[in-house]
Amino acid sequence: MSTATIHQVEVPQPKQHGKPGGIMRHLNFLTGLIGGVVLALVFGFLMSLQFPAGALTPTFANAASGPVFWAMMVGWVVGFMGGMGAFVGPIRWLLGRDLTHEDAEFMAGKDQGKFRYWRFTTDHKVVGIQYLIVAMIILGFGGLLAMLIRTELGATWTEVFNPDFYNSLVGTHGIAMVIAMIVIVSGPVGNFVVPLMCGARDMAFPRLNALSIWLLVCAVPPLILSLMVGGIRDGWSVYQPLNAQAGPGMIGYQTTIIVFAVSTALASVNIMTTVLTMRAKGMTWSRTPILIYGAFAAAAMGLYAFPFYMYSQILSMTDRLINTSFFDPIEGGSVWLYENLFWLLGHPEVYVILIPSMAVMMELIPVFMRKPLFSYYMAIAGIVGVVGLSGLVWAHHMYMTGWAPQANYPFMLSTEMISIPVGFLVLVVIGTMWRGTFWSRLPMMAVFAVIFNKMIGGVTGVYLSDVPADQYFHGNMFVTAHFHYMLMGAGLFGAMGAIAYYFPKMTGRYLDERTGSIGFWTAFAGFQITFMSMFVAGLQGQPRRVLQFDNMFNISNWISTIGAYIIGIGMLIFLAAIMSSWRSGQAAPSNPWHAQTLDWQTQTPVPLENFPVLPVVTKLPYDYGVPDPLDPKKLEEKYDEKVGAPS
Amino acid sequence: MSAPLLSPTTGEPVPVVARRNRLGLIFLIVADFSGTMALIISYCYLWSLNVNNGWAPNQQTFGNNDLLKSRSPLPWAADWPFWAILLLAVIATVILWIGVRSLKAGHRGGLVAASAISLLVTAVAIVLQWWQITTFPFGPGNGAYASAVFLLTASTLVHLLLVAFLLLAITNRTRAGLVSSGNPFQAKLVGYWMVWVCASILLGALCTTFLKASPNTTPANFGEFSLYNPNAATPSPSPSASPSGSASPSASPSSSQ
Repeated sequence: MSTATIHQVEVPQPKQHGKPGGIMRHLNFLTGLIGGVVLALVFGFLMSLQFPAGALTPTFANAASGPVFWAMMVGWVVGFMGGMGAFVGPIRWLLGRDLTHEDAEFMAGKDQGKFRYWRFTTDHKVVGIQYLIVAMIILGFGGLLAMLIRTELGATWTEVFNPDFYNSLVGTHGIAMVIAMIVIVSGPVGNFVVPLMCGARDMAFPRLNALSIWLLVCAVPPLILSLMVGGIRDGWSVYQPLNAQAGPGMIGYQTTIIVFAVSTALASVNIMTTVLTMRAKGMTWSRTPILIYGAFAAAAMGLYAFPFYMYSQILSMTDRLINTSFFDPIEGGSVWLYENLFWLLGHPEVYVILIPSMAVMMELIPVFMRKPLFSYYMAIAGIVGVVGLSGLVWAHHMYMTGWAPQANYPFMLSTEMISIPVGFLVLVVIGTMWRGTFWSRLPMMAVFAVIFNKMIGGVTGVYLSDVPADQYFHGNMFVTAHFHYMLMGAGLFGAMGAIAYYFPKMTGRYLDERTGSIGFWTAFAGFQITFMSMFVAGLQGQPRRVLQFDNMFNISNWISTIGAYIIGIGMLIFLAAIMSSWRSGQAAPSNPWHAQTLDWQTQTPVPLENFPVLPVVTKLPYDYGVPDPLDPKKLEEKYDEKVGAPS
Repeated sequence: MSAPLLSPTTGEPVPVVARRNRLGLIFLIVADFSGTMALIISYCYLWSLNVNNGWAPNQQTFGNNDLLKSRSPLPWAADWPFWAILLLAVIATVILWIGVRSLKAGHRGGLVAASAISLLVTAVAIVLQWWQITTFPFGPGNGAYASAVFLLTASTLVHLLLVAFLLLAITNRTRAGLVSSGNPFQAKLVGYWMVWVCASILLGALCTTFLKASPNTTPANFGEFSLYNPNAATPSPSPSASPSGSASPSASPSSSQ
């Protein structure tokens, strides 16, 4: 039997069949695309044969359109994932052809240059960067739709889009942005940073890691395609019965959500297992960086919450395709069932976005202020409290739907209670910054921006958690402005800070501070203009999701639209800074911020297996300004003081 | 004492990899449990409400002791959805665990035989489950109970298909010597998964047995819906059409309230 040397140990190897990687050498994004498109067409054609020409549904729609579009979506998912090579691993396992070390190295993208980003690559650093790029593409798509929405609302003198198409823009923008916000911090941080910060060589399940990113990629085209077949006209939450009444575009949305939920659940399993089993020796729970706690908490919430969202869409799909009646009252269904299943994810999802963003901030402040993290244990308590309460607040989204009015006040209480653990996190941030001086770099600027946005989002959220106030606000632009402050204000600006901070480790180059800062502050200013004005429109009573409104709302809408264009310009400048710095930015050393966490202790670019020798942790990584009791210089000085210096 | 086996891909001791995989499997089960709970909650929610008296199939009432009256030639099996399947799933699980114990005792052939028999039992369960689904005395649209039962059985079917794949792989891998007494963890992981599948089927069985007749005998009536039919001679509203289009505009009045 052959052997391979892995970390100076001779390890027996299974038989190598052909070249390392086997069939995976021939599979990549292009074969995935071809497989997906071909199988979608084949499945769609076969399904169309099941319906006689001109068959109509009871609502006089084309009977074939829904099932055919569904079959195409199934074909796309199976074909794309098959073409990427996602089924090769399970089939090899079934056949007993285990990976050799060489196979594993090929799968990790060894010596494949940039081509590894287009493959089913298992290296967590590649997957982390893939997550970042995919999140930015989804963000760009959602942002483009936002510009179109604001164009419509700003052009108060005319109707730019057909009302149905406008509604589709709103719904698609909503879900695209929610997906982007969930992924943009948790994806790159959870996959690129967490294993490095843990002192591990990779994620716990590298192939599952590749599977989760490519499932995410696979989830995007159905959402874009849905715009072409009727779109999502009912907002991102697509409540029943509107969901059931919508055209086949809804099937695109449902496919996206089901595939995305599976992707997120797999990513959550991977992150949680990595954190629990692969932390470096000596990294006890009281020495674990707060970012790891944040990533773990987000993964835990995603693990229990996303299946509810997935099933809300599976049940909607079966209602549509095989006439089940989960949400149809005539046959014993209930639309409130949908709302409950939906919001059982919908609110934890806010914290899936928020907690990693807050954790990044708590990671950045000690580094840029050279101060220990204030009350580390309070930060952990805050995160644990948010995770615990996040599953008990969902019905505050349903105060005005008429579902269980007697439950409104308990849910009001639980919602207001969640501000306590969130308050812990804010206290930790403020406490760490208290009387400190800071190193004025872009990541630290992002911290200030997030604090400002989160404060406004949090305070307005207290009003919305209140049943009486919510009666007025829930259906108008006030709530739209509020959740943009929470999700975009904290999530997106936090992500920009995280990108600026980890850019040198990811690329080996500094992010262009000047251009990046111009983009960042332009976007920040545009953000305040857009959404402050939206608060005003909401207080005046402008309803959400309407195309035409009274003239009294014109001015606030003009201002919001101008602000939105400014955000767009800012984001483009920031994107230009990323692209130019990635290509030809100033080279960065391996630890440009002099941070103490393990991710900065390895070389840049990070080698394939991260650390030549696995590190051992001896202290909390926030001991900035605290003398190291084992520092040889200090020990020598102490010795000299006691014994006397040698003459 | 012999040195532990090493993973060929990472060089780590197999027990370390096994612990990691076990934890990953537990998290996967948590995610799957969450999904199963979504179905169970849907079942219980609709059972408790009995909206428009639409819980029971064809909007008739039925008691907790009423059987499903299957159209199958084996009514005893199909009248008791889940319990027959559960029995087979438990038998398959017990057989696999006997095989794992036999492997620990050094008999690799024991696990090969056990997993093959377990696979056979699972295949029977799959066929039976499919049979049940196709011979229920109602369609998926005949009331909320019917819808929930269809989805729960479909979920069981998917679980069983996954179990069959895993058992096939374990049989093949044990035969090839990749699962051995020094490296039994993959068989154990499949065993854990099968225990969870039994638990998920049990949840469905308990619901469909003990939460059958809705406790709400005076259900809310949400009124009647009608669709505009451009082809109708007189534009009178039809009594039973639903907004989602799941009922025909010309459905019989007996299905309306």
